[in-house]
Amino acid sequence: MSRFLIVTLPLTGHAYRALAVADELSARGHEVAWCGSKAYFGPLLGPDATLFPAGTRTLRDQAGHGIAALKSLWEQYVIPMARFTLPAVNRAAGEYQPDMLVVDQHALAGALAAHRHGLPWATLVTEAMELTHPLAALPQVDAWVRSQIAALCQEVRLTDADFDPLFSPYLVIAFTTSALTGEQPFPGHFILVGPAMLERPRAFEWDLLDPARRKVLITVGTLATGLAGDFYQRAAAAVAPLRATVQAIIVGPPDLLPDAPGNVLVVPSVPMLALLPRLDAVISHGGMNTVSEALAHGVPLVLAPIRHDQPVVASQVVRAGAGIRVPFYRVRPSQLREAVVSILNDPSYRRAAKRIGESFAAAGGAPAAAARLERAVQAARLAIRGCPTPRVRGTRTMKPPFVPEMKISGRTDGGFSPQERHWWRPLLDH
Amino acid sequence: MTVEDITLADLVGALAAATGDDSLLSAGIGITTTLEGDLCFDSLDLAALGAVLRDRYGTTLDLVGYVAGLDIDEIIGLTVGDVAHYVIRCLMPSLRPETEQTQ
Repeated sequence: MSRFLIVTLPLTGHAYRALAVADELSARGHEVAWCGSKAYFGPLLGPDATLFPAGTRTLRDQAGHGIAALKSLWEQYVIPMARFTLPAVNRAAGEYQPDMLVVDQHALAGALAAHRHGLPWATLVTEAMELTHPLAALPQVDAWVRSQIAALCQEVRLTDADFDPLFSPYLVIAFTTSALTGEQPFPGHFILVGPAMLERPRAFEWDLLDPARRKVLITVGTLATGLAGDFYQRAAAAVAPLRATVQAIIVGPPDLLPDAPGNVLVVPSVPMLALLPRLDAVISHGGMNTVSEALAHGVPLVLAPIRHDQPVVASQVVRAGAGIRVPFYRVRPSQLREAVVSILNDPSYRRAAKRIGESFAAAGGAPAAAARLERAVQAARLAIRGCPTPRVRGTRTMKPPFVPEMKISGRTDGGFSPQERHWWRPLLDH
Repeated sequence: MTVEDITLADLVGALAAATGDDSLLSAGIGITTTLEGDLCFDSLDLAALGAVLRDRYGTTLDLVGYVAGLDIDEIIGLTVGDVAHYVIRCLMPSLRPETEQTQ
């Protein structure tokens, strides 16, 4: 039995992946605790979960698009969130003494706390923004992002040049497969497990679905509701003339579309995993969650990316042949209709989506992630006992695991903090 | 084609051709209009604009390469005027920066 401390972001796409992995760890008999906003994670995890509350802070809505949105993501969300939650995560790491922290790639506080306490940690890659390093195409933007992270590390006095809070040197778990990322090689401590999916229970009136018509789900996810109205108007206009053969389900507040065409249902939410087997296509902004759930069910997509990693996801799907990309702000109803008709009528899109779905199923999802976490804990225990740690070769971020050898020299047992004592316990016991 | 022949209208025409959006022709685009902020350009639109400009003004022109060399605020603030300056620099070898001459 091992103890895992999960540090993730209070955002659907991030939290649900961690929850799927946590459920699997619990099922295998491990202990799992969480650190994060009580207002968000309390209801999500239920009363029996161990939650170290990190407080709740209202961060500005991520408006905008393009590089400006990327800048505000880092300046107004990722970095302030790390700064705000770090004291609580540090406390949790000290009190709970986990064998390993399981840290969302953009929940930097988890990586910082693990490094501070000399605890092994794993990265959960829940987005497409870092894994294949798409920002390499814009070197100065990439350098700016790195400088934001470096400034944060400096601020909390973690200046080890080998330390990269985005990529654990122990284990990196990405919720995708090479069917999407392409055949680019990753270091040995990276594992691509495909999506870890959990149903979010939602009421749905199944009787409203018309079995005689093909069904298209239209959703721009949970973050972009402010931008959704105009896009949904155009999407409704796009599918209205297809009424004889197509029924569309738009996910959004019904008052966004008071005059929805007859073949367009507007519902506040859907039970995604239950609905997907009945769908023929999805029109989406390209959030990793929606896209991977659709592909897992072999459903092809029309993607209108808005910001952040969505353009990266969209280009991966297009390259794999499982979808068509259209411009979110500019796409006209006729253009969107053309894309939907192509997706519905050309079987190659569905075949490609099925291929990706099969690669997801083969990759193992949350159980594979949990199994690798178990092995990483074992490997970290061996590393503490002084076994040589394999040097990890690879790109910018790949460094050998951080093993605080320095701390041994010149210090006695009495000089260890409780956290260090825990970390060194196997060594001291021998 | 000489530098004097390039007008704002030419560039707006290139923007419309790149995006397939003719409404841009009458959208009041000026030299201070930003590509990302005002015109909602993404990387695909930029690549399409680069291809249109290259077709029209010659192969020395590499808009995507030019933008890749800019810093984060320069990309966010990139205007139609900046693109015009870049095109003019490419067409007038004497104005071309060292790095572009050696390419």
